[in-house]
Amino acid sequence: MTWISKDWAMGGIIKGLIVTLKHVLRVGDRPTVTVQYPYEKMKTQPRFRGLHAVDEDACIGCGICETNCPNSTITIVKHNTRWYPQVNAGMCLFCGICVDVCPMNAMKMTGNYELADYSRESLVYGPDRLLFKKEVKQ
Amino acid sequence: MWTGDIMTEIPNGYELIVFILKFIEIYDPINNVFKSFGLEYLLRIIIVLVEIAVLFVFILLTVMFLTWMERKVVAMVQARYGPMVTGPRGLLQPVMDGVKLIGKEDIIPAKADRWVFTLAPFLIFIPALLVFIPLPFGPSLIISDLNVGLLYIIAVSAISPIAILMAGWASNNKYSLMGAIRAVAQDISYTIPLALAAIAVVLLTGSLSTVEIVSAQSGTWFGFIPKWFIFLQPLGFILFLIASIAEMGRIPFDFQESESELVAGFFTEYSGMKFAMFFLAEYAHLFSVSAIVVTLFLGGWSIPFLNLIPVSLAVLVPLISLGVFLVKTYAIIFFAMWLRDTVPRMRIDQLLNIGWKIMIPLALLNLLATAILLTAGVF
Repeated sequence: MTWISKDWAMGGIIKGLIVTLKHVLRVGDRPTVTVQYPYEKMKTQPRFRGLHAVDEDACIGCGICETNCPNSTITIVKHNTRWYPQVNAGMCLFCGICVDVCPMNAMKMTGNYELADYSRESLVYGPDRLLFKKEVKQ
Repeated sequence: MWTGDIMTEIPNGYELIVFILKFIEIYDPINNVFKSFGLEYLLRIIIVLVEIAVLFVFILLTVMFLTWMERKVVAMVQARYGPMVTGPRGLLQPVMDGVKLIGKEDIIPAKADRWVFTLAPFLIFIPALLVFIPLPFGPSLIISDLNVGLLYIIAVSAISPIAILMAGWASNNKYSLMGAIRAVAQDISYTIPLALAAIAVVLLTGSLSTVEIVSAQSGTWFGFIPKWFIFLQPLGFILFLIASIAEMGRIPFDFQESESELVAGFFTEYSGMKFAMFFLAEYAHLFSVSAIVVTLFLGGWSIPFLNLIPVSLAVLVPLISLGVFLVKTYAIIFFAMWLRDTVPRMRIDQLLNIGWKIMIPLALLNLLATAILLTAGVF
């Protein structure tokens, strides 16, 4: 008599069909969650760890970020008479330790995550591409 | 039901083309030109070819639209956008897919049986188009109203397992062969309940002609329930729908190409235009099977309120009925897509168990009940 205990009304399937129909008809809070990526981008969070940026005036070129970097991504190079970090984004694991250890709070991370490039050399971000000048408050 | 002059005068698409040509008064001059050369049969052949070309283009456009619709429905269920870039809301995506597939290299494996391998895509594509010959899209929108229309449909759609087996065998690939064997086992076990459910409809109608099946479903009970066979044959409708989804090889029953087990099943080795043929045949099959379900159980092109159209607009009747037919067909197609996005694939032993142990006894029971009620004079 096992046949009599079977779900002959196909209740499980009908339940599932109702759920998917609700998705199709957008009943309740069921929005489209993906975005049309190259044309529109998802909003990044303020603490998102993307490509680095270095405050040109605050950085003292001490090299603490260089010694603390787990992948040896950062090297200190000379740029316009002063010393600044240079980041190899191809090796960086975006852990953010360099940001944490910076004594002058000069290093920070931007929301830029579109770092794909055509050569390994162009993945090395020198100070000319990393530096930014902080707006001085009057 | 609307029983105007056009429907009785024009039995099929050939006569409709002749009627239109006569209406714009160019049939007689053309006919005279052909007559002067003694080539009247040539004109008839040309008209039939035009008819076939219209059907072919219509089916291809529908199939292209269906691939787009499939992707959109999946996307909606999965809270995505689906194709959006090519054309308005991605509507031209099938065109781009076609262009891409034409540009692909046409590979034939070295150990494959070349002739059978090349023939299989055509053999699966042609029956998918031939099925449409006795299907009425409207009062006169039918290629040929065969006496044995339903038998013809079932017979022609039974060719596709052979093509699948050819493709699987000729590829010389274990996955292809396994997919083909599964497809044949599945098609054979589900053709039986399909045919049995269709026979119950034939009992009610007393005819195998699709036009008569549709006209038997015209009119209403109590003035508001349309006389569709879905209300007389609810069990038959469910069995036919499940069996036809299994025949199509769509997701709860897609053993012929179950991706996670058999790569792509019987068309693993195909690429380029031959792959496109299998792809188009699959969607043409989806459309044809949905059209058959609509013809048998949902009243075909008839709606109970078509007789409210004034006689002066009688020219519009084929167009309106075509629209009604397409709306119903797309409802069934949407159901198939919706089911595909909801349920997972079954196991192969479950499939055969359901086919032989549940569907066939239920179909026989349905047939028996229909016959008894018919003999008792209830219908």
